Amino acid sequence: MHRGLLEPYQNRPSAIHRLPAAAKCAAAVVVVLVIVLLPRAAWPAYGVTGAGLLLVAALSRIPPSRLATRLLMVEPFALGVALLSLFQPDGARIFAATVARSTLCLFAMVLLGATTRFSDILRVLWSARVPRLLVTTLALMHRYLFLLVDETGRMVRARRSRNYSRDRLATWRSSATVIAHLFVRSSERAERIYSAMCARGWKT
Amino acid sequence: MNALEVRGLGYRYPDGTAALDDVSFDLAEGERVGLIGPNGAGKSTLLLHLNGLLPERPVPAPAVHVFGTPVTEPHLAAIRARVGLLFQDPDDQLFCPTVWEDVAFGPQQQGLRGEGLAVRVAQALGQVGLTGFEERLPHHLSRGEKRRVCLAGLLACEARLLALDEPTTDLDPRGRRELKGLLESLPVAQVIATHDLEMVVELCPRVVVLDRGRVVAHGPTAELLADEDLMLAHGLERPHILRHRHPH
Repeated sequence: MHRGLLEPYQNRPSAIHRLPAAAKCAAAVVVVLVIVLLPRAAWPAYGVTGAGLLLVAALSRIPPSRLATRLLMVEPFALGVALLSLFQPDGARIFAATVARSTLCLFAMVLLGATTRFSDILRVLWSARVPRLLVTTLALMHRYLFLLVDETGRMVRARRSRNYSRDRLATWRSSATVIAHLFVRSSERAERIYSAMCARGWKT
Repeated sequence: MNALEVRGLGYRYPDGTAALDDVSFDLAEGERVGLIGPNGAGKSTLLLHLNGLLPERPVPAPAVHVFGTPVTEPHLAAIRARVGLLFQDPDDQLFCPTVWEDVAFGPQQQGLRGEGLAVRVAQALGQVGLTGFEERLPHHLSRGEKRRVCLAGLLACEARLLALDEPTTDLDPRGRRELKGLLESLPVAQVIATHDLEMVVELCPRVVVLDRGRVVAHGPTAELLADEDLMLAHGLERPHILRHRHPH
């Protein structure tokens, strides 16, 4: 996987980037809340919100293709949920509204992530008294995600360099081994991280 | 008062394998000692004892004293503030989102906040030559920079004894040279566990040779490392710097 796609933040000299992180987080939450609370058929309001978000996107000077790629990466999850609504009466309309609403919400979050450093968002969450455990978990996840991706890449490459078989079953089996190894390595790393935290005075 | 006193330290892994057996040595304040030996000699295990990460269960008579204080449960907070442990893999040690937050982690655990914390972090980053790196993300740093941030995190705790686990492993020559210069400039006691024997010759007047959990030799670096038979018997070798006395 491309490391670039994992990293949401795009450093650009724009007015949107310079806004305080707290303001951007609050605005994103407000957009999501308003969209969720709007009646299902409020299409004009969706249009206005969408136009507003597009304006922010333009002001942020981030290439539209980049934002679109990120949006498409998360869209399948929303689509999966929306598809379920097709099985009820008047399904098509509910489906369209669900897709529109979730796309707007996701777009707001993609914009927030692209214009605000993750560490700044964490600081906002911290000062907004979001439960500590959740913020710490998010921080550690963001920190070690890249390491995990690199490690997976190295293991997959090492495996490929020794695996000439075209037997699909064998490939699956070795994939399972890679996953198992990653799990063991991650849990060992978690132990070492915990030791490193204790070594600097955590919980003493 | 000695910075470190280890007296008859023994340790068995939970599965019963002996890892350390009757290990003893001292370290004066501001002194540097090299801890050398083959892989699996017990060097890392020994370092984990210096700030009480091992043993898991309290022992009746503590074998390690740091600045006169026994390394036991009631003293752990004070001990961990004084002993800075540098782990082998810097990625294990850098767990915060930004460099600033990581360096601030230790002092924060000591209760430091606000202006005092900011000053402490700025000083530590200055000491390792990374002023201006505050907002950088750990995964964007080079290996050598990561190692220096880790060291800043220990200096910010105002550690007076550094226990360094293979500090120069996998650094490029520049990273290694910079780290070596940095360690040389720090006026705190240091235990350096390493395979980098050239560095030991340059930094440590004294070495402890560990093999299979036992101290097999202990004395002046130049003397022990020049002893070819001793070095080969314990998976080491006489460093180049002691073979040839010509300048290059």
